[in-house]
Parts: sequence; C-alpha cells; structure tokens
Amino acid sequence: MATVTSEQERGALTHPDVQSFSQVNRDILKVLSRPGRGWWALFLAATAGMVVFFGAWGYLVARGMGVAGLNNPVGWGALITTFVFWVGIAHSGTLISAILFLFRAPWRQSIYRAAEAMTVFAVMTAGLFPLIHLGRVWHGYWLIPYPNERFLWPNFRSPLLWDVFAVTTYFTVSAVFFYLGTIPDVAAARDQAKGLRRKLYELVSLGWRGTDREWHHFGKAYVFLAAFATPLVLSVHSVVSWDFAMSIVPGWHATIFAPYFVAGAIFSGVAMVITLAVPMRKLFKLEAYLTVRHFDAMAKLLILTSLIVLYAYLTEFFMAWYSGEEVERSSFWNRVFGPYWWATWTMLVCNGLVPVLLWFRRVRRSIPALFVISIFINIGMWFERFVIIVTSLSHEYIPFAFGMYRPTWVEMAIVLGSFGWFFFWFLIFTRVLPPVAIAELKEVLPAPFRRGAEKEAAA
Amino acid sequence: MAQTHSPGEIPLRYLPRSPRASLVSALLVLGGGAAFGFALFRDPQLAWRAYVVNWLYFTSVAAGALVLYSVWVITKARWCWPVRRIALAFAAFLPFSFLLFLPMLGLREDYFPWIEAMGHDPVVQRKAAYLNIPFLLTRNLVGLALLFGVFLYMAYRSLRPDLGLANSSGGAGQERGRRSWAERLTQNWGGQEHEEVSSHRRLATLAPVAVILYAVVMSVVAFDWAMSLEPHWFSTLFGGWFFMGAFWGGVAATAWTAVYVKRQDPDLGKLIGSQQLHDLGKLTFAFTVFWAYLFWSQYLVIWYGKLPWEQLWVVKRSEDPWALLSLMTILLCFVIPFAGLLGRKPKMTPWSLRLFTSVILVGLWLERYLMVVPSVHDGHPPITLLEPAVGLLFLGVFLASVRWFLTTFPVVQVWQPMVEGELLEAEGKGGSRRGAAV
Repeated sequence: MATVTSEQERGALTHPDVQSFSQVNRDILKVLSRPGRGWWALFLAATAGMVVFFGAWGYLVARGMGVAGLNNPVGWGALITTFVFWVGIAHSGTLISAILFLFRAPWRQSIYRAAEAMTVFAVMTAGLFPLIHLGRVWHGYWLIPYPNERFLWPNFRSPLLWDVFAVTTYFTVSAVFFYLGTIPDVAAARDQAKGLRRKLYELVSLGWRGTDREWHHFGKAYVFLAAFATPLVLSVHSVVSWDFAMSIVPGWHATIFAPYFVAGAIFSGVAMVITLAVPMRKLFKLEAYLTVRHFDAMAKLLILTSLIVLYAYLTEFFMAWYSGEEVERSSFWNRVFGPYWWATWTMLVCNGLVPVLLWFRRVRRSIPALFVISIFINIGMWFERFVIIVTSLSHEYIPFAFGMYRPTWVEMAIVLGSFGWFFFWFLIFTRVLPPVAIAELKEVLPAPFRRGAEKEAAA
Repeated sequence: MAQTHSPGEIPLRYLPRSPRASLVSALLVLGGGAAFGFALFRDPQLAWRAYVVNWLYFTSVAAGALVLYSVWVITKARWCWPVRRIALAFAAFLPFSFLLFLPMLGLREDYFPWIEAMGHDPVVQRKAAYLNIPFLLTRNLVGLALLFGVFLYMAYRSLRPDLGLANSSGGAGQERGRRSWAERLTQNWGGQEHEEVSSHRRLATLAPVAVILYAVVMSVVAFDWAMSLEPHWFSTLFGGWFFMGAFWGGVAATAWTAVYVKRQDPDLGKLIGSQQLHDLGKLTFAFTVFWAYLFWSQYLVIWYGKLPWEQLWVVKRSEDPWALLSLMTILLCFVIPFAGLLGRKPKMTPWSLRLFTSVILVGLWLERYLMVVPSVHDGHPPITLLEPAVGLLFLGVFLASVRWFLTTFPVVQVWQPMVEGELLEAEGKGGSRRGAAV
C-alpha cells in the first residue's frame, strides 16, 4: 500500500461511502426538500417548548421577580446558571470551525456547519437570560453605554458590563463567520431551488458564481475570520468566568476560573454537538457524511476537555484545603457534603467519571453510547454552573447570612423552555441552510474523473 | 494545506558531530560549575536558589518539548514529520535533569521558609499534611521518576525501529558511538515489521499517559519549588501557568533547534522546509498569546480581589527591586515575540524565527526566576551575574545532551506506520511502510 499523503486520499478514507461530487450535492440538498414526519414531530415539540418559555417569561414579567426563588444571599439562581450554560454550549462551534481549521484537522469538515449554527443559536438563547433576570426587561438597553443627557454611564469596571461586550462581540463574529462559510453552499442550493426559495438564496448567496477570484477572496476572508474568532473563543468564557472570579466570594474568587470555564465550555459544547448530530444524522440519512470517525474524534475532544475540567475541580479542592483559610475550606467542604451535595456529586460524576468510558475505543465508536454520554455531560455541565453559583452564594460569609435557594416552577419552566427556543431555531436551520458544508466536503473527496474513468474507478 | 515534504523516501541522516560544539559545552559546564562553586563559597543560599531556578527552567523546556512530541503522537500530526525527532531529542537531558535534581533534595530551611514558619504560624501549621519534608521528597522523586521514565521509554520506542534499519542497512556508518547505541537499543529484535507496529502501539498508548502525568507532576513541582516559598500565598492557576509556560518553552526550543539543524546539514536543511518553520512559528506564536492569557487571568483576579494575602505575591514583584525585571519578562515573553512573530515572513525566515524563539527562551528564564526568588529574597541587587552564570552549568549539559542525541540517532524519523495506522488496524493488517534506508 502506498503512503497516504494527499488530502484527497485522506478524504476518501474519512468518507468511504461518498463516491462523487454530485452525490454530495444530492444528499445534502435533499435535506432542504420536504421534511419528514420525524422533523415535524421535533419541530412541534420545540415550538411547544418555546410557548412554555415565553409563557413563563411573560408570567415572570407580569408578576415580578418575586415568583423566582431568588432571595437575599442567593441573588443569582437557575436563570444565571442557564445563561452560563448556553454561553458555554456556544463555544465548541467556534472551536470546531475556527480552531480546528487553523490546526488543519480535516475531520471538522462534516460537522462544523451544524456546530456553527449551534453556536449562533446558543448565544441567542444565552443572551435572553440576563434580560429575563433583569425582571424589567424593557430596561435592558441600560447595559449599553450611550451618550445621554444625564451623563449616566454603566460601570466600566464591572465584569457584568465586560460580559455585554464579550457576548455581543462573540455573537457578531460567529454570526459573520457562520454566514461567510455558507455562501458557496447557499449558491449550490440556489442552483437547484425554484420560485421564492430561489430568489431568497440568490439574495443570500450574494451572486456567488464560484470563480477563481471569488474563491481566492473567500479563502482569505475565511482564514482571517478564523484567526480573529480564535482568541474570542477564549475571551468570552473568560469574561463570563470573571463575573464570578472578580468578586471575593469564597468559591468564586479563584485564579484558575478563566481557563477552567473555557475548557468546561468546550466540553459542554462538544457534548451538545454530539447530542444534535446523532438525531440529525439519522433523520436526514447523513450516515455517509457523519461517520463513526467523526464521532470518535469528537469523543477524543471530550476526553481532553473533561480532563482539564477534572484537573480544575481537583486543584480547586486542593487549594481550598491548602490555603489554610477557614472560609475557603468551609466553602468547598459545604459543596461536597453540604445541603447541595447532590448537585456537586452530579457534576463530579457526569463530568469526571462518565467521560472515563470514552477512553475505550468501543465506546467512542458506538453512536448510541456517545449520545447517552453526551446527555450526561450536558446535565453535568448545567449542574457545574449551578454548584458554582448557588452553593457559593448560599454559604457566603457569616453563618448568620447563609441561606438556601430552590428554583421555582417558573424558573424551571423558563430553563427547560429555553431548549424549545434553541431547537426551534436549529430545526429551522436544518431546513433552510445545508447542514453539512458541501463545498468543503468536496475538498477532501477524490476529484471527479471523466465519465468513463469514474465508472472504471467505481468498478 | 499542501505539505512541502511528505514522509516518503526519507534517508537516515545524522547531525554531524562537531568538536567545536563539544568544546563549547565543556567550557560552559566548567564555567557554570566554577560559578556555582564560587557562589556556594560566597552565599550558599543564593547559590542554591540560582541552582533551583535553573533546574526548573531547563527541566521545563525539556519536558515541554517531550509533551509537544506526545501531542504529535496523539493527534497523529504529519506536518511535523521532519521535526518530530527534534522535539524528542530533549529527552536526552532528562536523565541529567534527574541527577541534577538529587542535590536539591538536601535543601531545608535555607530554601523553604515554611519549615521555620511551621513553628509559630497557625496558617502554615494547617498545611502541615502537605508541607513536610518526607512527603515533599517522596512525591517529587516518585513523580519525576515516573514522568521521566515514561518520556524516556517513549524515546526508546520511537528510536528502536530506525536503529533496526540502521543496523540492517549499515546506515549508522563507521561511527562507533552510533553503532554501539544502535546495537544496544535493538536487543531482542523482533523483525522490522513487528517492531514498528509494537512501537506505534506503545507510543499511542503512552502519549496520553505522559501528558496527564506531566500536568500533575509539573503542578506539584510548581507548588513545591515556587509557590510554597510564599507560604501564605496560593493560586489555583499557578500549576497550569507553570506547565503551560514549560510547554511553550518546549515549542520555542524545538523551533530554535529546527533552525539550527537546518543550517548544520544541507540534506537535513532540505527535509526541514520553510513549511515546518512556519508551523512551528505559528505554534510558538499561539502559545505566546496563551502565556499572556494565563498571566493575565491570574493577575486580573488578584488585582481585582485585592485580598491582602493574595496580592502580596503580585505586589512584591511589581515594586522595587523587582519591577524592572517583571516588566522585562512581559516584554520578552509577550510584547516582543507577539509583534515579531505576528506576520508570516518572520515565522518562515530562519534567522527571525531563531531570534524570537531566543527572546522567548530568555524571557521564560526570567519568568521562572521571578516565580522563585522574590518570594524569599529582599536584598539588593535583585539579580547578580551569578544566577545566569550558574545557568551556564545547566546550559552546557543541556546543549551537550541534546546535541549528542541528534548526532547519535537519526534526526528524521524514517519508520512510519502511523500514517493511517488506524485504517490498517481496522482492516486487521497491522502492517507498516517505510522509506528506503540510505
């Protein structure tokens, strides 16, 4: 056997069941045609979730923040937890599309479009939560610094304000990056569409014709944006972590928070990509494109990030003990053995123990197993944020001011309903934009032969 | 994405031996040894601090390079083929690092302030289960032995198939050193095919183990030999900052050595293309930014929190007499390499890549120095010529060992079953391919 070197030959290895360029167009664009029953079922469920989401939010607005379980020591609860959770989910999209692009990891090709879409929708979901948490959502624009007649400015030294900038910048860049990547594929969809759809695709694809010159500029812009988005992946969740770490609340004030949150974000994001990719693959018959190898590679990313997260957990526990400070020690003792022990143990088991299964090749290559593990990780990562936020606040400074927090049904409805809102957008995405990058996939496939040769090669 | 050099027909090539380089290393060792002796005579505390700083620095760089190699194994990277073994060459320093570590085990009150503080300081007393000499010695010895052991075994496994080729083709030539090492490391030879597959498998299994061990052991090293010197101070990021800095040093040192090797031998110069330099430059650049990120993450939290016991460490380093050195560290570790390596050209041009990696390696030395010395030393002047002079001892050993590796073993790995090794496993063949041994 000859040494395998060229990208083409590698692609043939990664996608053994994809024979030709035309097959890619056929298979991927078919997803955009009439949806099946499975899609409609999911879409209805998502819409129902969205109704619950907005219903509960409306109730919260109408009745006031009193219907949330927030109280004096615990001023941040399930809503802020879920904000951090969704921002975290958003991370792996850019990791897969930008960082793996710069690292020249070819397996990203099949998965990155869905991951990027997930990023955009996850930020859209996350962005709502601080607004919900405001209570009087119509005052949300106060977060934005703008010149006004009273010379009132937000506090620029507040990490909460940094967060506004970080998240909006991230949203802008990832949306632009997402859009840029879709242009050649939308053009491919345009060429097959008819009627109104065609008109829309024409508009969105900016008149893409696939000339050399266009590809040249496209490539430049893509690399540039990838390089630009890479530090953003680190910055956003670092800033989110500083919402906590800047304070001196025991359990929040830790120097490791920024890289620890980033790793956790990528961890949960990759898990969510798997959670989304498994049904998508099944529903739209994309088995030839999202192969076991892609899942295997993502599982390896999960191993890496779970190890970093585990390292952070252990370091935090060790340092709390090592500090010799009574408050630090008591705060971490309370996490593991206090009233919220169940949340902490859920987090430790889901994020530290369950991913150990991924060390086995058989597990990494079993799609049902990965699906289940990814859901465990999603749960674990939600609880991680819950543990950090709620246990630290409930057990803050003096014992007199300790207090417990319990989310109310309104908060839980908003939290669960947000999944409806997220999936609503994601499901629409799968029907409007090619969910797998057509053009990039072709880069790794063998170039087409003339007709005769193709038959010969197939035979 | 094109690769300038695909691993195909790779000749067995060695770095030419150079009496001049050996002489330089010998002089460095002698000079550094003399400086250390002089320092011991003048001020033993200063001498030992300088010794520890240098040990931390050179061990960091060597272990970091080995982690880079492990990462390449794990990710099945192929762009790095011509420079893979250069990163591996730093394994040659590890046995010496271990030997040089042994004298440090004798350090007590003159190095660790917490031994004295244990008598009267209640906060330090609460740490007694961790901060005590028997446990410190045990965890360091066992940890380093394990880590270095795994790294050296990986080096051995990576070399073995090539040495078999050298034996069978006479590729090692008439050099006695090369031949005897080739024979020594290929005992119980099981046939080329078999050796390649088993080496490939073992490397693939051990590389993740090595990386995990590295993170744990280097964190412990950082806590024990740097953080504990300020017994009240603690930072959860300290271990991560230390070992990621070390990894970055390993990347920079690999890039530096790649340029060196490229210039030493025209054939190797052709194998190590500007594409490899570009990629090594990118990695160096990326981890320069990452270093700054970690530095900032730690600094910002401490600055904002303003807790007395926490900011002490930072305040000390931002006041006289350390302020200037801290500023220089930031310049050398971030500002200069960031500006210098931002473009494409400087990464691909050998001299500029060498210049900026040198800047980084000097900056990293200062960083390690500042991690240790300000915690325990208040006198003026902050840094004398003695600390770098003691470093010459380490530098001599370091250069000689790495150069010995590159002259004794093939610089570019010839055997290559890793190319789609997975595919072969999937097909149940478990075969291997290799280039012609010249």
